[in-house]
Amino acid sequence: MTADLSYEFAFGTYEDALQMVGARTEPRFAGTAVSGARIQHFASMVRDPNPGYWDAEFAKSVWGGLVAPPALLTGLLMPPPWVPNGQPPTASISVRVPLPGTAIINASNDAEYLTPVLEGDILSVVEEVVAVSPEKKTRLGSGHFIETLETYYRDDGAIVATCTNTLFRFTPAGAR
Amino acid sequence: MTWDDVSVPAQLPEVVDQISYERVVMNAATTWDYVPWHYNPQYAKDHGHPTIFVNTMHLAGFIDRIATDFGGPYSRVVRRKVSLLGSIYAGDSMVARGRVIGKRIDTAGGARRYLVDLEVSIFNQHDELCCPAEVAVELTSGP
Repeated sequence: MTADLSYEFAFGTYEDALQMVGARTEPRFAGTAVSGARIQHFASMVRDPNPGYWDAEFAKSVWGGLVAPPALLTGLLMPPPWVPNGQPPTASISVRVPLPGTAIINASNDAEYLTPVLEGDILSVVEEVVAVSPEKKTRLGSGHFIETLETYYRDDGAIVATCTNTLFRFTPAGAR
Repeated sequence: MTWDDVSVPAQLPEVVDQISYERVVMNAATTWDYVPWHYNPQYAKDHGHPTIFVNTMHLAGFIDRIATDFGGPYSRVVRRKVSLLGSIYAGDSMVARGRVIGKRIDTAGGARRYLVDLEVSIFNQHDELCCPAEVAVELTSGP
């Protein structure tokens, strides 16, 4: 089976990519409110017994409701892989930066969580391209580091988190 | 635990988590991150990896679990900085080693926040450092 990610990627040169530095997206909204099911599925995967994720009564008294694990925040804004209108989901801006690389991997992530995200919150994210590095050679292959800033909002306009992410967009070593 | 109870420096207990194929598949399913090397072993191999591996959210979630296990149910992670140096693959062990490196009162936002700074590093079973992290946890203060 060959996995095809090409619908997500924009292709171009490093010079094309530099044109996108400073670009900022319109808000991208989660399709549904934060659910207890997603909170607990993730906490189960991580095996985190934090009662803020599991004990609705405790969570309500301490935090105001079941808490979304901070680490899940990016996932709460991921589009589902299929939607009924046949349109490909909108990809993160970091993979829409035009570059030659055919693969991606995360390099670093620095997130600040200003206020807890709770069950029922409707979230959106605005992304900005901060920087694109010149070509670098790594053990994975040659490519470019893309730094983005994501700002996450609740539907009342409050900023709940900011996140600086660095993604490596590369052509795998040995690939032509 | 309250902020007042925290000693600096201090070691956190080592935590070992076995990462099965089920856990890696759960990783893709829970985070909706369907980049193929999180679920397709052949794709992962074609891109130079031995098999599928967990994503950044899984690593961050494990780090947060270490942080709030330390801080207790009234604590929360307010900042986390991670570097991805290596991958945790299906079949690997994920080993967390952490320590308390500081405590401070932050007044930047107007309110007083009682913060503890942790260093948490994730290794694989070969003792290779895969993901060093710095985490700030907010605790309560006082009786």
